[in-house]
Amino acid sequence: MSRLEAKKPSLCKSEPLTSERVRATLSVLKGIVTSCYGPSGRLKQLHNGLGGCVCTTSQSSALLANLSVTHPILKILTTAMQNHVSCFSDCGLFTAILCCNLIENVQRIGLTPTTVMKLNKHLLRLCISYLKSEVCGCRIPVDFSSTQILLCLVRSILTSKPACMLTRKEIDHVSALILRTFLLTIPENTEDHIILGKSIIVPLKGQRVIDSTVLPGILIEMSEIQFVKLLPVKKPGSLKVALFCASLSGDLSDTGEGTVVVSYGVSLENAVLDQLLNLGRQLVSDHVDLVMCQKVIHPSLKQFLSMHHVIAIDRVGVALMEPLSKVTGTRPIGSLGSVSPSTYGSVKDWCTAKFGFKHFFHLIPNEATVCSLLLCNRSDTAWDELKVTCQTALHVLQLTLKEPSVLLGGGCTETHLAAYIRHKTCNEPESILKDEGCTQTELQLITEAFCSALESLAGSLEHDGGEILTDLKYGHFWSVQADSPSIVNWSNLLSRCGCGLRNSQEELSWSFLRSTCHPFAPQTCLPHEAAGSANNLTLDCFTAKLNGLQVAVETANLILDLSYVIEDKN
Amino acid sequence: MAAAASVKAALQVAEALESIVSCCVGPDGRQVLCTKPTGEVLLSRDGGRLLQALHLEHPIARMMVACVSNHLRKAGDGAKTFIIFLSHLLRGLHAIPDQENGSLVSENSQTLGRHWKNCCRWKFISQALLTFQTQILDYVMDEYLSRHFLSIFSSSTKERTLCRNSLELLLEAYFCGRVGRNNHNLISQLMCDYLFKCVAREGGFEEVFELVGDCFVELNVGVTGLPVSDSRIVAGLVLHRDFSGYCPADGDIRIALVTETIQPIFSTSGSEFILNSEAQFRASQFWIMERTKAIMKHLQSQNVKLLLSSVKQPDSVIFYARLNDISVVECLSSEEVSLIQRVIDLSPCVLPQASSRCEISNTAVVKFCKPLVLRSKRYVHLGLISKCSFAPHCLVLCGPVQGLVEQHKDALHGAFKMLRQLFKHLDLNYLTQASDQNYTSSPLIYKNSRESNQLPEIVNGSLQRPYQGTVVKNKDKLAKPQTYLKVYSNLVVPSIELEKHFPCSTPKVTPMDTYQTNETLRCLSPNKTGIIDYGEPFPESNSANSTTENTRIKISYENLQVTKIAGKGSMLPVRYKSREMCSSRSYCFSSIPAGSVLPVGGNFEILLHFYLLNYAKICQQSEEATVGVIVANALLGIPKILHKSKKGNYSFPQMYVRALHALQSGQPMGSRQTGLESVVGKYQLLTSVLQCLTKILTIDLVINIKRQPQEICDQDSEEEL
Repeated sequence: MSRLEAKKPSLCKSEPLTSERVRATLSVLKGIVTSCYGPSGRLKQLHNGLGGCVCTTSQSSALLANLSVTHPILKILTTAMQNHVSCFSDCGLFTAILCCNLIENVQRIGLTPTTVMKLNKHLLRLCISYLKSEVCGCRIPVDFSSTQILLCLVRSILTSKPACMLTRKEIDHVSALILRTFLLTIPENTEDHIILGKSIIVPLKGQRVIDSTVLPGILIEMSEIQFVKLLPVKKPGSLKVALFCASLSGDLSDTGEGTVVVSYGVSLENAVLDQLLNLGRQLVSDHVDLVMCQKVIHPSLKQFLSMHHVIAIDRVGVALMEPLSKVTGTRPIGSLGSVSPSTYGSVKDWCTAKFGFKHFFHLIPNEATVCSLLLCNRSDTAWDELKVTCQTALHVLQLTLKEPSVLLGGGCTETHLAAYIRHKTCNEPESILKDEGCTQTELQLITEAFCSALESLAGSLEHDGGEILTDLKYGHFWSVQADSPSIVNWSNLLSRCGCGLRNSQEELSWSFLRSTCHPFAPQTCLPHEAAGSANNLTLDCFTAKLNGLQVAVETANLILDLSYVIEDKN
Repeated sequence: MAAAASVKAALQVAEALESIVSCCVGPDGRQVLCTKPTGEVLLSRDGGRLLQALHLEHPIARMMVACVSNHLRKAGDGAKTFIIFLSHLLRGLHAIPDQENGSLVSENSQTLGRHWKNCCRWKFISQALLTFQTQILDYVMDEYLSRHFLSIFSSSTKERTLCRNSLELLLEAYFCGRVGRNNHNLISQLMCDYLFKCVAREGGFEEVFELVGDCFVELNVGVTGLPVSDSRIVAGLVLHRDFSGYCPADGDIRIALVTETIQPIFSTSGSEFILNSEAQFRASQFWIMERTKAIMKHLQSQNVKLLLSSVKQPDSVIFYARLNDISVVECLSSEEVSLIQRVIDLSPCVLPQASSRCEISNTAVVKFCKPLVLRSKRYVHLGLISKCSFAPHCLVLCGPVQGLVEQHKDALHGAFKMLRQLFKHLDLNYLTQASDQNYTSSPLIYKNSRESNQLPEIVNGSLQRPYQGTVVKNKDKLAKPQTYLKVYSNLVVPSIELEKHFPCSTPKVTPMDTYQTNETLRCLSPNKTGIIDYGEPFPESNSANSTTENTRIKISYENLQVTKIAGKGSMLPVRYKSREMCSSRSYCFSSIPAGSVLPVGGNFEILLHFYLLNYAKICQQSEEATVGVIVANALLGIPKILHKSKKGNYSFPQMYVRALHALQSGQPMGSRQTGLESVVGKYQLLTSVLQCLTKILTIDLVINIKRQPQEICDQDSEEEL
């Protein structure tokens, strides 16, 4: 019996951002994400008191998925970040930190939300149009004829995830692997639109990272007994493949809503088994060499097939079905009736392989865009982190293929952008003031809040107490080690900027990032050769960062606009 | 436990609610974050949603919320204004009682307790409110406000073509109050584009509004993780699911719709299938398979490339479909099916049960059919070729969080509801007689108006109407006599207490009308001297009325006078007379024309305020006047809030004074606001609030019952039986 219960009244709080508790929780969250940011970011160990494994991470996706936030405002913030990450994989921490910074800075100046939102949006528009424009000084177009930039991009992503626990050499190895994997998924003969293939990450925990490798085709894991049985079958050359998506276990299909009465002595199981064996006979007579089934194959059928030297592999799982049908060129068979020959496919070759302590059945395709990335790492948590990182890198490469440009990493884009915005609003405030109907002071305050949010975002890359400088020509990001002598010749102390594009011998002048310096126009237009020559740049994904910037500002605006929070207590 | 319900308590409740909703009103309103018990967070500026999210306990508050949701179901907009207006009304009522005590409470009730006395008084007021709402409001709307209305249709053509510019203004003003401040431009632009893309042929707006309003859930897709600016419109229909089996196809693509599984099953519910041998089982399985195959073959021969199914199909059906290059989409909701049926007029195929041959004739052509990937989720994208005036398009709504996407969805849905209301005529009707009673004018005004001819402003329009008709019919423009006539007719109603004169007013009107008709006829010949003659007896009769209590005699005397004049006037056809009498007694039907709009930013409220005050000034019955004034003042609450943050020249007092000045001098009200809003929506809101208020006022006790509601008592009674 259903029970009716009176609903409890909701809790309604006004001006949530002014409450001390919200501020405190926001700053805790900001502390967590800020300390994770960048290559030297600190790791977080997440362990659930109620069970589950311990997770060591510095990635936004793992971090935000495991944190349980209770306050609705934080919920908005974290879900916005998670949604961004699930779309773009990269720049989650960037978005979260920028959003927190913006909220904090804007709150401090205490203007009305309307003005703040209008101006924030305007500044965001300025940023976007600059980043997309031809003259942008922090965007490098990607030339796909060389792998240099793509490799730098992948390497930057791997470097920024310290929880993968990779050495320099390992990073080089894995980034090369990732790039190869990506290239293998690109079809060779391109038509009007490219359909990318699929890469499957195969786990191999407890091995050295250097043992990771990428193979074309599909690896199917199997037990040692199966493996041993397969060895004598080995014959070279191509295989005829049948792929079943229907179960071959002999269970009865759905008989409808009515009743089915079976007379005494009639065995439906036998009938179905007969049917299965008939199918087996047909497969054998059609000279099929390999039968794979998504679900279970009946042991009798398996026995029958192996007697006729047909390899039978069952329990493939739904995830592998699509790549398998792509690799073999089959159509998955969904009925136990007679099989039409058009549904068979073939593979070029097959072999058995042993990696570490695992045995694999390796299908080598004729020509297909499916490949397997065999990923090794020492411990479980490090492997998990590495896997997510690899997926991120592959996704970023795909995004870069769509929008062929990258942004300078290592904080340089942020400082450059801040310098540009400062200069723009200082020198041409008329257009903004006219459009948005606000005063010069308001514009200055908001610009300061916006730019310092960007700059302190760049500054949070430095975790070891070093100083952060910016040069007054390009507006790039430079960091100095802590406890360096106070007044020195900067050009001797610094070597390269955050992204690695500029070196300190270029007759630059520097100032501290957080000091109030006179707005200057950062040099736009990257010199062409700079992009090509440098081989050790730190780069960021353009699409992901652009979206992160937009989402961060929009979310901050959203949170600043809240006047009430109504919490349903039921 | 019972608690006395009072205006004071209601006011407290309304004020509490007001403080919450007033922060989200208008273009400067802010957002409210609501959490659901499931942990989801929702952003909202929608008053109705906020009120419901509060889960209020107070009985009066719950009643108000119920009234608001009733109103929203009808109009789709105005929940916040509802609360603000209501609390202003209650405040107004709360402030009056002391002066009005004597006049409104009848003598009998003095013996009762104080509370009951109060209740009695409130009941009177609530009756007055009801009268106001049903009679005066319509009258004022029709007579005075209607001349300020603008139309959303472009005026150049006779046909109703929607003016894009005004629609943009209307939508922008609507979304200003509904979505976040940074997004309203974008969303209103999106909606405007969407509307114009969806309307396949000229004049099919109503149909499109109806269809989109009904099926809005199916016509949009929410995508999280992207900035709002990535929202867009896609041509065709996007189904919220993926293909079960997809085979790329182009060219002439036909689709078929089924509502049952294609593969026959062993036994349907209620039947029994007896298996006697294994061979029989095999044979029946074989038959089932062959039949599925045959149907798919047949579909392929019909060039069907896509099979839409409202149920889950067995795996083998999908397998055979794939073999025949047919894509399959399963598990369509009934709403999606009905939308597809409405748009392309496709009825589901009926699969014959027994015969092995099947005929499928119900297929339709689509332009394309392909998967659409939005944020790594796959959807089915169909290029339907519409058979009605709705050209199918879908909205892809993006936002960083689900809560924001939901807010935009709700706002868009509400906008369609609002437009649907806007495109309907709204009937106004009011009793002409009743307005006669309500209308009282002093002899002083009468005299003034005789010279200056300014009276149309305060003249009862319901009476004006038939005469205008007559005049036009006779192709004679006789404005002046008409005016006198009206003044004259109105003066007949004595300016004494309503209750006492109510029974007498009917006979009074009749002779008056004969006179009027008479005069109209006479005026056809341009003889102006006659008019003055007719006017003469009246000051006499009027003064008599006001001084003496014995009205009956006076009225008969007056009747005598009037009829005498009528007789003197000349040959009045009897037929004519009776018709006019009828019209003067009957209801007056009028309407707010479809598509009427007013500039946004409190224009409607200030206009109505002005005319109501004017009305109250000339209205001598204190009850009517009081109610009119209270409503008029409460109306000002809304523009006050809207202009709260404005400074200097645009602050509320400045704006108000300017508007009043403009109205008095008959100039157009200069408005800085560029948006438009629907008049019908405002009118409906006003009536809803007044109804709610009468409801509140008529309640005297709130009885708190602490027992499980429903069912339990039903069960008891059953057991007893």
